Amino acid sequence: MTLIAIAMGFAAVSIFQGYIHNTYKGLRNSAVRGEGLGHLTIYKQGWLEKGKIDPDKYMFSQEELKRISNLVEEDEDVILATPQINISGLVSNGRTSTIFLANGVIPRDDKTIKGTWAAFRPVKGEGLSEKKPYGVEMGEDLASHLDLKPGGYGVVMATTLDGQMNALDIEVAGTYDTGSSATNDKYIRVPFTFAQSLYDTEKADRVVVLLNDWKKTEATRERLENTLSGAGIACEIKTWNELSLFYLKVRGMFDMIFMFIFSIVFIIVIMSVVNTMGMAVLERTKEIGTLRALGLKRRGVSLLFAVEGAMLGFLGTVFGIVLNVVVWAVIRSVEPSYIPPGSSSPVPLIVNLVPQSMLFLMLFLILLSLMAAILPARRAARQNVVDALGHV
Amino acid sequence: MKLIEMEEIKKDYFLGETVVHALRGVDLTIDRREFVAIWGPSGSGKTTLLNIVGAIDEASSGQLFIEGQEIKKLSDDRRTELRNRAIGFIFQGFNLIPVLSALENVMLPLEIMGTSFSDAREAALRRLDEVELSDFVRHQPDKLSGGQRQRVAIARALVTNPSLIIADEPTANLDSDTSRKIIGLMRDLNEKEGTTFIFSTHDQRLLDKVNRLVRLEDGRILNGGNER
Repeated sequence: MTLIAIAMGFAAVSIFQGYIHNTYKGLRNSAVRGEGLGHLTIYKQGWLEKGKIDPDKYMFSQEELKRISNLVEEDEDVILATPQINISGLVSNGRTSTIFLANGVIPRDDKTIKGTWAAFRPVKGEGLSEKKPYGVEMGEDLASHLDLKPGGYGVVMATTLDGQMNALDIEVAGTYDTGSSATNDKYIRVPFTFAQSLYDTEKADRVVVLLNDWKKTEATRERLENTLSGAGIACEIKTWNELSLFYLKVRGMFDMIFMFIFSIVFIIVIMSVVNTMGMAVLERTKEIGTLRALGLKRRGVSLLFAVEGAMLGFLGTVFGIVLNVVVWAVIRSVEPSYIPPGSSSPVPLIVNLVPQSMLFLMLFLILLSLMAAILPARRAARQNVVDALGHV
Repeated sequence: MKLIEMEEIKKDYFLGETVVHALRGVDLTIDRREFVAIWGPSGSGKTTLLNIVGAIDEASSGQLFIEGQEIKKLSDDRRTELRNRAIGFIFQGFNLIPVLSALENVMLPLEIMGTSFSDAREAALRRLDEVELSDFVRHQPDKLSGGQRQRVAIARALVTNPSLIIADEPTANLDSDTSRKIIGLMRDLNEKEGTTFIFSTHDQRLLDKVNRLVRLEDGRILNGGNER
């Protein structure tokens, strides 16, 4: 029963860990690639605080953008540094209008940022292209509300940075699923120059930086902060996880659930091992007496039971690994899917096998079993030899 | 040459508020190579005396010397080492470890001592051969008869070449034929190897073989501890 409890506990924690490992990876890719946040985003100093009130003052000029791009792209871990601009306004099909939020991106840089993510949420129709300056990608629900299909035309309206109303024709080059029902009826991706035209500016509100490895995000931020401040450019740099509130919230929730599951397993393992070892001490009292009479010291008896506890932990986790692999194989063959909260479409349920985490968990449970066995082991060692020999 | 010296050994047990005087001042000296029986009625204190001599129990008062060392002054670890090195035990109920084979049971005291596996195995096989159990070395205790189990226990008691073997009613659970063989075996080992044997018994056949009889009654030794 103890072995089963440890095995089930190990498998439960490990499977959940495998699930959140995949989820975190997916959310990271979604933020960096899907949302187009890149790994780092450079803002002019003050933009995040006052940019909405006086955008023109806190946007990067052409000259600043050029200097930033040159300095940033010199870094060995930077693949790309690209300017972007967020715009908002009204979009109309000629009969009905609704609000939109758009991201102005350089089409070829956007393709680089999306990378293989593009295949996960493909654009129906054509994507953004330098050859079609008025061609946009529209969220599927927004396109549906406006009854616009790829190849259809509409108009976007917005206030320029000077406060004038401006309107431009658009052609819906393609439609895409943002992955979130909250944004699928609002989001548009437009060419960078188109967004600048609508706002009647040559500026950009940020520079998005793509790195060759997400693990280098923090180190690169520090380096770039030093480089840019050294060049006299007042800016602030945010990482992808600081900007993706969704990622932070989901991670916080999963970490909490993980701790909850882990605590339950922790208690079950301790209680099971203490109970089993307690019974073992009781059942083998006469053997303990015999061993003590033959010359085994108290610490030898303690060690004997502690090692037995550790062996219980080891065997339990080995069975747990087998159980984990079986569940993993079943999930891979069945390929179940589900719709997470806020998602606009089903996502596959994937559980990763994470050897490093499994090894860590295994060592932890073995250590835990050993620790749990110490109390009964000490009790065994302290028994009076004559009483133990006379135990029936 | 003195192996054991007991001076005014007393042992009291507390059963609730009642004090049971198991030993009431025992003086006893046992020399090396002796084959001694502790004899007396039930409740006379035989087992208590053997437990104290075997350093698995402590006297309430008095002094006990084994190989010249005062036991009371030894720490639990030192006393345990002394048991491992100098004392062998043969229990009435054999007390073999059920999950271990006969060979592993006999190797146990040597492994506790820290002897290498090969040396322990060699010594255990030699002792099992002496007790005529060479063909049963792989057998677990539940596959052996009572006599065979007691012979395994004797081999285990002898394997460290102790100076003293303590046996508490060693033939009590054996039939008469097997008892005779076990008594003969212990006597042979005493004569050939000079190992000192102290045992408690009611078995007249065993009493006939001893060269010293210590009679115990009500926790006291009668006749100065030598009836023969």
